[in-house]
Amino acid sequence: MQNKSLWKFGTREVVYSAIGAALYAVLGIATNFLQLPSAGNVSFRPAVAIPMFFGIAFGPVVGFIAGFLGNIIADLVSGYGFWVWWDLGNGLMGLVAGLMAFSFVGFKTQGTLLKAELFVILGVVVGMGVASLSEMWVSGADINTVIFGNFIPAAVANLVNGLILVPILMIAYDAVVSRSGK
Amino acid sequence: MLVTWAYRVRKSLMGSFDPRARWIFSFAFLISATQFWDARFLVVLFVLAFLWYFSARVPFKETRRAWTFVWFLLLIMIVVNTILTGGGAGGVVPEGGHVVWPNGIPIPLTAWHFHFGLTYERLWFALCQILRIGGISAVFVIIPFSMDPRSYGVTFRGLGFPDKFAYSMELAFRYVPTIARDFGVTVDAQRARGYEVEGSGGGIFKQILRTAPLIVPVTMNSILTGEDVANAMDLRCFGRGPRTWLYKLEYHWQDYLLIAFSILLLLASLAIVYGLKLGDFWVPEFLIRMIS
Amino acid sequence: MTMSHLPLVVENLSFRYRRREELAIQNINFELHPGQVMLIAGASGCGKTTLMRCINGLIPNTYNGEMTGDIRLFGKSVKEMAMVEISQTVGTLLQDPERQILGSYVLNEVAFGLESLGVPRGDIIPRVEKALSRLGILHLRDRETFGTSGGEKQKIALAGVLAMEPKILLLDEPLASLDPASAHEALDAFRVLADEGYSVMVVEHRVEDVLAIHPEVVMYMDEGKVEYFGGVEGLMQVVDYHRIKLPAQVVMDRAHGQKQEKTFEATIRPQVGNEAELVHFDNVRFQYHEDSREILKGIDFKINKGDVIAILGHNGSGKTTLMKHTLGLLKPTQGRVLLEGKNTRQISVAQAAHTVGYVFQSPTQMLFAPTVKEELAFGPKNLKMSEDVIEKNIQWAIETVHLPEELQTPPLALSFGQQKRISIASVLAMRSRILMMDEPTAGQDYWNYTAFMDSILQMPGFDAILFITHDVDLAVVYANRILLVYDGQLMADGTPYDVLRDEALLRRCRVLPTSLLRANIEHYPRLGQFHRAETLSQFVS
Repeated sequence: MQNKSLWKFGTREVVYSAIGAALYAVLGIATNFLQLPSAGNVSFRPAVAIPMFFGIAFGPVVGFIAGFLGNIIADLVSGYGFWVWWDLGNGLMGLVAGLMAFSFVGFKTQGTLLKAELFVILGVVVGMGVASLSEMWVSGADINTVIFGNFIPAAVANLVNGLILVPILMIAYDAVVSRSGK
Repeated sequence: MLVTWAYRVRKSLMGSFDPRARWIFSFAFLISATQFWDARFLVVLFVLAFLWYFSARVPFKETRRAWTFVWFLLLIMIVVNTILTGGGAGGVVPEGGHVVWPNGIPIPLTAWHFHFGLTYERLWFALCQILRIGGISAVFVIIPFSMDPRSYGVTFRGLGFPDKFAYSMELAFRYVPTIARDFGVTVDAQRARGYEVEGSGGGIFKQILRTAPLIVPVTMNSILTGEDVANAMDLRCFGRGPRTWLYKLEYHWQDYLLIAFSILLLLASLAIVYGLKLGDFWVPEFLIRMIS
Repeated sequence: MTMSHLPLVVENLSFRYRRREELAIQNINFELHPGQVMLIAGASGCGKTTLMRCINGLIPNTYNGEMTGDIRLFGKSVKEMAMVEISQTVGTLLQDPERQILGSYVLNEVAFGLESLGVPRGDIIPRVEKALSRLGILHLRDRETFGTSGGEKQKIALAGVLAMEPKILLLDEPLASLDPASAHEALDAFRVLADEGYSVMVVEHRVEDVLAIHPEVVMYMDEGKVEYFGGVEGLMQVVDYHRIKLPAQVVMDRAHGQKQEKTFEATIRPQVGNEAELVHFDNVRFQYHEDSREILKGIDFKINKGDVIAILGHNGSGKTTLMKHTLGLLKPTQGRVLLEGKNTRQISVAQAAHTVGYVFQSPTQMLFAPTVKEELAFGPKNLKMSEDVIEKNIQWAIETVHLPEELQTPPLALSFGQQKRISIASVLAMRSRILMMDEPTAGQDYWNYTAFMDSILQMPGFDAILFITHDVDLAVVYANRILLVYDGQLMADGTPYDVLRDEALLRRCRVLPTSLLRANIEHYPRLGQFHRAETLSQFVS
């Protein structure tokens, strides 16, 4: 596992990308229990932890597809349309978090969990940053609106969820890995 | 939990186009529309967007939720950003301009005046925003209602994406109903252990922690499933050579027409903006004259 | 035909996984002829999955390790074959068809392998249709896979394998997710394929079921070694009947005259005369939506103190829907369910959980905590029990399922069988008075489930126990009352003898009689009670 290439995309990666995306979509719809009314495209979804966790566990490509495709599918089910820059932002969250994949031993050591929190912060900032900035280009909003209206609410909501749930998922996954003995 | 797609099969003009041609049009439109702040061009694009939108023949009842969402977004952009804070110009609206209430707005029963720097130029810009965001929204809101989710894999393959990425899409759509069903089972299993889905208050942290008994089993169960799924694919030679896609998309004459139109639209927009240097923010003469 | 051209020859095969110390399988030798059905029996962890992976190419293509010895397919060593070649010689059906099915539509699913091989589009459809017709499911061609039944899913998955035109079929516990009637249909299909010339290897716990299609050879594995290889007759004598379930007559013959086995006595007994009513189903009808199919069609019965009820019925008959009503997870569309006199519409599920403990079928769909202890505390905490009561209940529950040493282990790190027992313990810890279990034995070894079913039934503290099962023998051995459900209706409700002796009724309800049931019916007039085979042998001369 250690010498696995970060950007490999074999059968397993295809499967986990697909499952990550389906999970993100379904859990995103199912646990979308707190809407933050002040923020445009932003909602409070505990499921944002999924693409970041999939990135950390299976690599940046899997993280990207889980976030990107998952967000598309969630919008396809809810009928909200197709917002490619937000889809891209969600994908980037998973991708950036996934940059730490395969660089550690054991999912639940304190060092790994700390590193994961750091990458969650990075992922959210980059992903939501890119998505928010795209709003300037598309909607003609100014930088202040983008920062206060889009970026901050989206980043805060995703950070809170990601920072809490990603470690929980990693600890659970550590047990799964130890059982399969791979 | 039951997940149903927004898509319904219906006979329509839009439905007669190849999905690849529709994606090409949608993105050509997006790039074109984001070139302009000139209302004269935006009106043309707005009309085009809604002609396209209505060609899908999706009743308003189905799309209401999406439009509510779009209006909500517009409201924030326009009311807050352009009208109230005045920042909405994003450098597009020049400094200065004609203030609507040059003497301020008298506050009733007092001698005070509320000074509000709204200009006619900014109001006009708000109109442009409605046209631009409205048009783009129309083109993209209609996608989930008009495109079969199960055609995504082959569509993206047809647009030149690699086999494996396209198949990931196929597989994701295949697993949505399965995972939705599993989620329902997990909710029931935890409720049987006294877990209440509607949490009894608590702070935001507690609320998030309360989702763990649902999210963790569903996620881990799916990952375990993934191991078998990957084996099932390997056993049937997945990714060992170029893949045949059983469903084949074929372009017909109307698709070539649509693609040609999309390219033309894009080229024309770029030519207008970069060649003729037109399309920047523009306030009509009559408006200025009327004010003065 | 010379040796080297046999479909499958395994010689001195041993394998060790890369990260493991011990060999997963060692020194396996056998050969398989065309037209043969071979049964491989063994408990979990005996090495049968590893053996299959060696044959179908997953080892070494997906799983790494050290392999010695050789496997030859039609004379050619697998070491010289690429996956593309192996997969067109050996077809594998995985245990859970739900996981094997990759396509949203039946047509896509069956075409998957051919698409991967890059077969021209024009050739795919005829081959898909041929595979579907062969299994008699051509009518499913354009259906969505998600909505098909368990038996149909398995045939679809098998068609997907057959479309690649292999000569050897590996079937990994193909009966695990099927009810007995569908299992027999599947088995018949396997026999037909063998008679057409395929070589078929079936790995299966349910030995008795597979015997119905007369396997030519049987292999019994234990701890990675072959313990027996030969005809069916010999197997019956060498296998430990406590570990693998054998036909009742065989067990009776072998147990006869052996030293007295301890007889099983349940602590719960029906209270004749003063029936205390715990649950009352009053003409319950249920459908999910107004325009969807009715799943329960007027169910009327009472659960009384002292009942041990087995709910029997085919897949999709409404058994699980019925159980969910007891707890109020579903509310009747018409009629009502009373739980200790209270209408389930008026109480929350959490309140109902004080009275009714419900163990779901799949443990992986409920386990989430970082340690077993926290997992077991989840229910009691939700029910707002006090700290020391929780502590006491956890201890009691974990000892009941015989896993006290695992309290600090993450539940997800345990084996499937252990997880199942933890899921039962997590409900036991709530100290509910009625215990309900959905397929408590699914995916478990015979040895394991007999042990925990024994201890649950002997455990004091339950007013009533209900379980859903496909396994008629489980009902025979443990239940004192049977509910027979068919197509949303209660077809029979009574003592095991009264309900189960009506073989025609059972068959109409797609429930199949077993050898143990027949032996018990035969001896019932004399014994007045049902017994397991070992016990039965002591009463029979």
